[in-house]
Amino acid sequence: MMTSPLDFQTLLADIRSRLPLQNPLHSFVHNNILQAFEHLDFHEALKKASVLYRANTYWPVERYKQAYANKNISEVDITQALQHYDGYDHELSFLPILGIERKDFFYRLMFSELNFNDDEVQPELDDERLWMYCREKTKNESLVLSRSPVIWRAKEYWEKHHNIIFNLSIHPLMTRLISSYLDQGQSFWSNPFTQEGFWKFLAYDLEQTGSFLSGWQKVFAQKVKAAAESNPGDVILQELKSMNIPEERWESYLLDILFDLRGWAGMVNKLELEPWQATVKAPNIQLAEFIAAVLLVESSVDTFFSTTYSLDINLIRGRKDEVTLSGFQLSLGLYQITKAMKLDVRWVQKLKVPDVLALIDGVDSAENTHHIRLWHEAFEHHYHRQAIQALMRRKLSLPAPTKASAQILFCIDDREESLRRHVEEVNPSLKTFGVVGFFGIDMKFSTFKHDRFIHQCPPVIQPSRIVTEVALDTERGSFLRKIYNILGITDLAFYYQSRTMVRGLFTTLILGTLSILPMFLQVFFPEYARKIKSNLFGLFSPNLKTDILIEKTDDFHGYDVKEMGEIVRAVFDMCGIHNNFSTMVLLLGHGSSSNNNPFRQAYGCGACGGNAGIPNSRAFAKMANDPRVRQELKETGLLIPDSTVIVSGFHDTCTDEISFFDLESISPSDQIHLNEVSLHLNEACLRNALERCQRFSSVEAQVDADVAIKHVRERALDPAQPRPEYGHSKNALAIVAKRDLSLGLFLNRRSFLHSYDWELDPDGKTLAQVVLGGVPVAVNINMDYYFSLVDNENFGCGSKLALNLTSLLGVMTGSQGDLRIGLARQMVEIHEPIRNMTIIEAPLERVQKLFESHARLRNILHQHWMRLVVCDPQTGKWYQYGHLEWTELHNEGRPIPIIKNSNEALALIHSSDFLEIKA
Amino acid sequence: MIQTLFLASLVAPFSLMLILGFSFLLRIPVQERWLSFMVKYFSLGMVGIGATLWVLVWMKSPSELLLNYGHWIEVGEYIFELPFIVDLLGATYSFLTACLIGIIFKFSRNYLHREEGYFRFTFLLTVLWLGLNIVSFARSLDLLFVGWELTGTTSVLLISYFYTQVQPVRHALKAIVSYRICDTGILAAAAWSHHYLRSTDFVALPELLEHDQGGGSLIFIGIFVIFASLAKAGQLPMSSWLPTAMEGPTPSSAVFYGALSVHLGPFLLIRFHDYIDNFPSLLIAIGVIGGLSALWATLVGRTRSDAKTMLGFATITQVGIMWIEIALGFTNFAMFHMVAHASLRTWQFLRSSSLIHDFFENPTVKQDVSIRRDLSFLRILPVRVQKKIYIHALHSFHLDYFTSRFIRGVSFPMRVLFEIEKKMMVWDNRLLVSLFRKK
Repeated sequence: MMTSPLDFQTLLADIRSRLPLQNPLHSFVHNNILQAFEHLDFHEALKKASVLYRANTYWPVERYKQAYANKNISEVDITQALQHYDGYDHELSFLPILGIERKDFFYRLMFSELNFNDDEVQPELDDERLWMYCREKTKNESLVLSRSPVIWRAKEYWEKHHNIIFNLSIHPLMTRLISSYLDQGQSFWSNPFTQEGFWKFLAYDLEQTGSFLSGWQKVFAQKVKAAAESNPGDVILQELKSMNIPEERWESYLLDILFDLRGWAGMVNKLELEPWQATVKAPNIQLAEFIAAVLLVESSVDTFFSTTYSLDINLIRGRKDEVTLSGFQLSLGLYQITKAMKLDVRWVQKLKVPDVLALIDGVDSAENTHHIRLWHEAFEHHYHRQAIQALMRRKLSLPAPTKASAQILFCIDDREESLRRHVEEVNPSLKTFGVVGFFGIDMKFSTFKHDRFIHQCPPVIQPSRIVTEVALDTERGSFLRKIYNILGITDLAFYYQSRTMVRGLFTTLILGTLSILPMFLQVFFPEYARKIKSNLFGLFSPNLKTDILIEKTDDFHGYDVKEMGEIVRAVFDMCGIHNNFSTMVLLLGHGSSSNNNPFRQAYGCGACGGNAGIPNSRAFAKMANDPRVRQELKETGLLIPDSTVIVSGFHDTCTDEISFFDLESISPSDQIHLNEVSLHLNEACLRNALERCQRFSSVEAQVDADVAIKHVRERALDPAQPRPEYGHSKNALAIVAKRDLSLGLFLNRRSFLHSYDWELDPDGKTLAQVVLGGVPVAVNINMDYYFSLVDNENFGCGSKLALNLTSLLGVMTGSQGDLRIGLARQMVEIHEPIRNMTIIEAPLERVQKLFESHARLRNILHQHWMRLVVCDPQTGKWYQYGHLEWTELHNEGRPIPIIKNSNEALALIHSSDFLEIKA
Repeated sequence: MIQTLFLASLVAPFSLMLILGFSFLLRIPVQERWLSFMVKYFSLGMVGIGATLWVLVWMKSPSELLLNYGHWIEVGEYIFELPFIVDLLGATYSFLTACLIGIIFKFSRNYLHREEGYFRFTFLLTVLWLGLNIVSFARSLDLLFVGWELTGTTSVLLISYFYTQVQPVRHALKAIVSYRICDTGILAAAAWSHHYLRSTDFVALPELLEHDQGGGSLIFIGIFVIFASLAKAGQLPMSSWLPTAMEGPTPSSAVFYGALSVHLGPFLLIRFHDYIDNFPSLLIAIGVIGGLSALWATLVGRTRSDAKTMLGFATITQVGIMWIEIALGFTNFAMFHMVAHASLRTWQFLRSSSLIHDFFENPTVKQDVSIRRDLSFLRILPVRVQKKIYIHALHSFHLDYFTSRFIRGVSFPMRVLFEIEKKMMVWDNRLLVSLFRKK
C-alpha cells in the first residue's frame, strides 16, 4: 500500500502538539496544560479540551450559584460580565421566536434550570394551564438534538454493553511495557531493549509470551507479528485504513485512543523530543511506535470482541449517539423555556410547531455552551472588578516618599507579596522590588557536591552558560565529595539490595534494625531528626566555604565583564533603581523546603526552573560587587556608588527563614547594617508565617507569631505532610508597576508583583523584558492551577494519598495505570478558578505595541487566556482590553475596608481580598 | 501484672473500636481534632503496654502464661473457649503491632488531614489492631480465626479506601477472594482437629498428636494450616493479589503489605511449628513453597518500575525466606527477621514519595551516565537468555494465566456456565443489532 510520509509527518505533528507537555517530576515546571489550544478563544478551547480530556473545564455550576447566594457575585458583576461576554459572536437564530434581546436571553438563561433532557430529575409543574398548552403544542412530535455526536471508537460500546473496563483489562499490558521501557533506574534490572526501540521490544515480548496469551491479546500478538518488520508510521496508516476510519477523523480518533494513556503518551513525546529532560538517560523511543502499539491494541480489542459476539464492527464504529426527545420531554422543554424566559401562555398559543422544535434544539445547545460560561465570567468579573477598584483608589492617596535605608529585591512570586508588605510595615524605609527570580542569569549550575547540571533559568530559555560551585578549601572539598560519593553508593546499594533475595536477607536484617530509630524520629520529632542529621554532616564539613565561578573561561563557561554589566544593568533597569542606590541592596532568591514530597519542584522558584534561587542571587551579587563591572556600568551611565554593597540572600517560602551568603567580603559597618535589616526581616517573616497559617486548618486561627513560625517549620520537615505550603493557590493577579501603585494594599497573596518604572524606559525595551519574563510564567502557573482545580481527576493527578512513583519519571495512582499529569488535589484545594489579570502601569501605546509584537502574548491576550488592564500614568486613565477593543474604566468610588496594619487583616482574610492599610 | 497488661492490650483497642463504631452508627460527628487527639494518647498508651509486656515476658521466657477465660458457646460436644497464650512470640508481635500502628497513626494525622475518610481509616486501623492482638495471643484455632478475619476484612476495606473508583474496588475484590479461599484452610484445620483430636489448642495439639494412634490423616491439619497461611503471606500460588493491593493511602499499604498483615503467614506457621515439626514432608513443603515464592518474586520484582508494586514483590521474597527459615527450624531467627523486615518495609513505603529526589540528588546518579545497576548472577548467562528471563519476569511468569487455566480446568461446571453466558451474550447482541438496524 502506498503511504505518503509527508502526510504522516503532519498527522504526527498535529498529535504531538495536543499531548500533555509535562516534564519528568524532577524538573516539573508549571505549564498551561492547554497550550496547544491557545490560538482559540478561551471558552472555545475549553469546549474542545473537555471532549479530548473527557473533563469538566469549569467549576460545577452549583459552586458559582453558591457564590451568588453568598454575595460573592453581585448583580453588577453579572450585567458587566454580560456586557463583555463574547457570546455575542455566536449565532442564536431562535431569538426572533422568543422575541427577546440577546442580553436578556443570556441573563434569563443564567437563572434558568433547564433539565428537560435529563430523565432522572422529577420536574416541577406548578402552572397547570401552561403545561396543558405545552402538551397540546408538542403532541406526537419528536426531536433529535443537533448536538448529538458521531462516535468512532468502539470502546464505549464494549464498556457499556459488555462489562469490559479498559482501564482494568486492556491498558495494564501497555502500561507495564511502557513503564518498564522508560524506566530510569527505579527497577533493579534495566530493560535490556532500551537501545533497540520500543517497537522491537514489543514484537519480541509478544513473540516470547505468545503461547500464554488469550483473548484479545492473542489477536494483538498476531497483528504485531505481522507488522513487526514494517515502519510504525506505515502500520498506523494501514491500520486506520483497514479500520475504515474516514481520513478527516484520523487525528481525533488517534488522539482519543492516546488520551486513555495521556500521561505515558505525553512522556514518550517529551523524551523523544527533549531527551535531555530524562532523569538519567532517555531510551530510544519514538511517539510513532507508541501510537502504533496502542492503535493495534484498540483494533485487536475490536476484532476480538466483534468476532466473539458476532457483531458487525462497522455498525459500531461511526455510530451516532443520538439524543431523541419524545413528546413529554418536548412539552417539558417548552414549559421550562417559557418559564425561564418569563413568557406566558399567550406566547405559547401563537407558536408554530416547527418553531417549537427549532427553539428547543437551539435553547438546548445554547444552554449547553453559555450557561456555565456566563456564570464563570460573572465570578471572575467580581474579583477583577474589586481589584481594579482597589488599585484605582490607592492611586488617589500616595504616602510621602522616604529615603530608602536598604533596597530589597524579591522574586515576582505571588507568595512574596505578603512578605514584602510585612517588611514595609515593619520598617517603611526598606524599599522592596519585584524582579524575575533568576536575576537575568541564564545558567546551568552544578553544586560542588555533584556534577549534575541544573537549569537555573525559566523553562522557556535555553541556558547559555555553565556555572559551577567549588569549595574554597579544595582539599576539604574533595574529601567531602568523596564522602558524598560513598554515601550515594551506599544509598543506592541499600535501595537495590534490600529488594533482592539473598543479599536482601542481610540488608533487611541490618537496615531493618537500623531503620526503627530514624523512622521513629522522623515521624514523631522531625525537628530533632533534622538536627541530628545536620550535626552528623557538620562533623565532616564545619562551615565549608564555597565560591561560584562566573568568570568567563570559554564560550560555554561563565560571563565576561561586558555581559555581567548587561545582566546587572537589566535588573536595575527593571526595578527602576537608577542613581538612587541606597547603601545596601539585598537580593532574595526563593525556594521551598519540604520532605517526602514528589512535587517539590512545583513549590520552588518558577523562574529558576523550580529550583531554589540561591545560586542566581549569589552570582548576581558577585557580579554587581565586582569593581570592573561597576566601572563598565559607569561608562554606560549607571553609577553604583562605592558605598553600596550588594548582598545575596534566600527566602524559604515554606519555613519563612531568610539566610545570607558570601558575607566574608563585606565590610564590618555593612555587616552591622545587615544585622539591623535582618532583624526587621525576621520580624516580617514571623508576621508572614502568622498570615500564612490562616490558610491552614490544622492550626488555630488565633495563635502567636512564635507558634505560627514553629508550625510552618514543622510542616516543611514532616514526611507525612501532603501540604507543606499552598504554593501559588489563589493566584489571580499580576501587577507590573512601580511599588507605589500597590503599596499599602493588602492583596491576600494573590498577586504577582513586577517592578517597572515607566519613566526610565522611554523606548519600551525594559517593559518588554519585564512582561516577557514574567507574564507568560504567571499565566502558565495560573492555568496549571485552574485546570488541576476544575477537574482534578482528568487534568490533575488526583489525591496525593495513593500516589505511586513510577520509573523515576512521574506518579500513578495505586498499583497500575496511567502516568498522572498536573497537580495533586491537596495542592489546589483552596484555589479559585480565576484567569490571570495583568495590570500594567505604562503608556497605553507602549503596551499595545509590545503585545502586538510578541506572538504568544498576542495570542493569550486576544483569545482571553488572560485579561489586561493598563493604567496610563500620563493621562491617569485606566483601560481594559477585551474583544479587540480597549474600554476606559471608571472609578466607581466603592470604598474598601481600611485597616491599621496587616495584623488586623487576619480576621478579615477569608471575607475580603483587598484591604487598605493606613497606619 | 502480665495478665493485666495482656488484658489491657485487648480491651483498649476493643473499647476504642466500640466508641468510634457507635459514634458513627449514632451519627455523632467526631471532629478531626478530637479524633487525632484521642488516637495520639491511645497509641502512646498501647506502645507503653506493649513494651512493658514484652520486657516482662522476655524476662520470664521461655516459660509462658496460659490463660482461659471460660467458654462462650456450647453446642453439643463442641465448646468455644477463650484460651490465650502469652509467650515471647505473641508479645513480640503485639509490641511490633503497637510500634508500627503507633507510627502509622501519627503519620496519618497529617497525611490524612482534611480527608473525608480519616474517620473510617482510623476506625479500620483500630479494628486491625484488635485483630492482630487477638491473633498474637490466641491459643486455639477457633479464636485465632476471629482475629484473622478482622485483619482480612480491614485489609480489604482499606484497599478499597477510594471506593468511588473502579480499580481499587476490583483489586480489593481480588484480595478478598484470595483471602477467603485460604481462610477455608483454617476452618478445615479446626474442623479436622476437633474431629480427630477434640481440641484446637496450639499447646495441647503436639502432645495429643504423640498420643494419637490414628496416624495418617492428622497430617491434613498441617496441610490446611499451611494452605491457610498462603494468602496472607502472598506465597505462591496465592501471590498475584498482593502487588495489586497498593490502592489505598500509602500508610495503609505500609502497615498491611509491608508489615503486619503480610507477616501473619509466617506467624501462624511459627505458632504451629511444634505440630508441623512432626511431619518432615510438611517442612519440606514449606521450604519449597517459600523458596519458589522467593525466587519468583525476586525475579518479577526486579523488572517492576513503580515504588509500591516493587516493594510488594520484595516483601513476598523476604517472607518466602522466612518460610525457609521456619522449615529449617530457625523459628527464633525467623521472628527476628520478621521484626526487622516489617520495620524496614514500613519505612520504605512511607518514604516512597521521596525516591525521585533521592535519586536526583545522589551524586553517583549522573545524567548521561546510567546508574550502576548490578545485574547480579544473571550476568553470566548469554544475553539472549537474559532477555528471555526479563520478558517472562515482566509478565510475572504468567501466574495469572496458569491460575485461570487451573480454575477453568478444575471447575467444569463453571466452564459450562461460562459457555452459556457467552452464548447468551451473542444472542443478546444479535437482538441489539437488529434493533439498531430498525432505527
